[in-house]
Amino acid sequence: MSAREFAYEYADGYERVREACALRDEWLAYGLSTRPAERADAEDAVGEIYRLLGEAPPRFEWVASPAAALDAVRDEPGFRGGPLRYTDRPQTARASPLPDRLARMESALRHRLGEAVAEPWTPPWSHRGPLPPGTAAEEALAAGLPVQRVLRTAVGDALKASVADAVRAAVRHSVGTVPGLMTWYGQHDAHWVGHYDVCARVGAARYRAQDAAELRLWARLARATGWWWAAPGRCVMAERPTAVRTEPAPAAAYGEIRLHRDDGPAVRFADGSTVHVLHGTVVPEWVVTGPTVERIHAEANIEVRRSAIERIGWGAYVEQAGLELVGTADDPGNPGFRLSLYDVPAGAWGRPGRLLLTVNGSVEPDGRRRRYGLGVPAHLDDPLDAAGWTYGVSGQQYAQLVRRT
Amino acid sequence: MRMVTLGELTERTGLDVLEHLAREVAVPVVDGMQAQGDLLLVPMGMLGHVGLGRSWSPHPRWQDVPPEGIELLRSTAGGNPHTLVADPQQCRWTDDVTDPTGLAIGALEATAIAYLIHPEHGATGIAPGRYLVRRQRERALGAPPGRLRSQLFRGGNQFVCD
Repeated sequence: MSAREFAYEYADGYERVREACALRDEWLAYGLSTRPAERADAEDAVGEIYRLLGEAPPRFEWVASPAAALDAVRDEPGFRGGPLRYTDRPQTARASPLPDRLARMESALRHRLGEAVAEPWTPPWSHRGPLPPGTAAEEALAAGLPVQRVLRTAVGDALKASVADAVRAAVRHSVGTVPGLMTWYGQHDAHWVGHYDVCARVGAARYRAQDAAELRLWARLARATGWWWAAPGRCVMAERPTAVRTEPAPAAAYGEIRLHRDDGPAVRFADGSTVHVLHGTVVPEWVVTGPTVERIHAEANIEVRRSAIERIGWGAYVEQAGLELVGTADDPGNPGFRLSLYDVPAGAWGRPGRLLLTVNGSVEPDGRRRRYGLGVPAHLDDPLDAAGWTYGVSGQQYAQLVRRT
Repeated sequence: MRMVTLGELTERTGLDVLEHLAREVAVPVVDGMQAQGDLLLVPMGMLGHVGLGRSWSPHPRWQDVPPEGIELLRSTAGGNPHTLVADPQQCRWTDDVTDPTGLAIGALEATAIAYLIHPEHGATGIAPGRYLVRRQRERALGAPPGRLRSQLFRGGNQFVCD
């Protein structure tokens, strides 16, 4: 049956989409799992993968975290890939390092699976763009979008946002990278493994037997373990984290999450290695445990600095940093609230500037109004000019603002 | 003319706002400059040096605001959208605008009241007229030298995302 026939068969398949979303959530749970690794299953799957590469099963070495694994493999050349050059000559390919061959095998598999779930051809005048964010999957299906497109957004993209972009990237960021060292992600491969698995299980794709078997190996790994590193005869396997704290991503339409915890690490491994994340922003531990003006001023990363300031509050920051008030003005369109402009000395944030403290035009869910700071150029002396500058209008024009929400 | 309430508007458009916003309050209609978080609506008449269309084609391509509305802006993290909604054939939108500040995302022309809805900021009414819609920027204070690209292209400024 062709992909197009599948699309027709399930053009009214709301049930399929609902089923796909439930399966997606199972995969998300594997991606976020904090249970101990199922070692036997993971070792068995890796052994099979080695066998497909023509290698004998490796000796396994389990460590508590990716950070510990990195220490174990950092200086071992067997875990490194070869030089980055393209070759399709089979002899060269056979002779290339094991991590390269493994990467090529995985990438080729993903390519073939991707072709098997390709969207059917639709006329160029029909709706071809991505789903507008927030479109319910059922709605998209009703609008005539092919089921493959709906699944790509509702399952593939959603899992990628949660597992790869939110969790895997944060852990990767905190353990650091080593040039040439190749890592496989176990549970954090759930986004692509899960997408192709779900497509097949709801009948939106059919894979060749060999591809389906290979996918099953990667799926077993994603369900069983954390990250791993492969060398000839030796494989270093990392346990899954023992704690992962998340919150719903803003306007999550398909169950997307991001990491967040403001009273400790968002990700913790059994050996005590941690990742601190505030509303999706990876931050150094001090931002969560002890933000101070000195540390904020020594911090080069703007996002980290902003997260740290928000931890202590913009008002408290201005006070503790001893920023000098340049002027205040009533905020037009936001009755009862004022704009305050402060001077930020060159030494504080690297170059001279000014900070405009404003109050949000809408109340927060807790009934309060959020204060927040905006950087503005150092030459602005009038709070109205500064507020106007942020929108590209003059202070005189900004003074005519009728309403702010 | 009776003003609609936030509750009626969310029912009519199917767009959601957060629970804590008062739904029974009438949505004010504004004919001057107004801000909804990181977006500013400026009556075209207030601005010089801003034109509809581009240098190579002075006629902007308008699109009618469809029943489900148009998302004018959504923050990079996939966050909350600002959605423009209007009755059929009463409002059109174009992103063919020339704005020397680089902050404009487009312009709207309403012949009846249109609305801008945001989950956190609620709704606001837009009186008939032509408006430029701009984003908000801030100076990235003390951007480290490595961020050369942003400094070259935007003078070290970045968009505000609320």
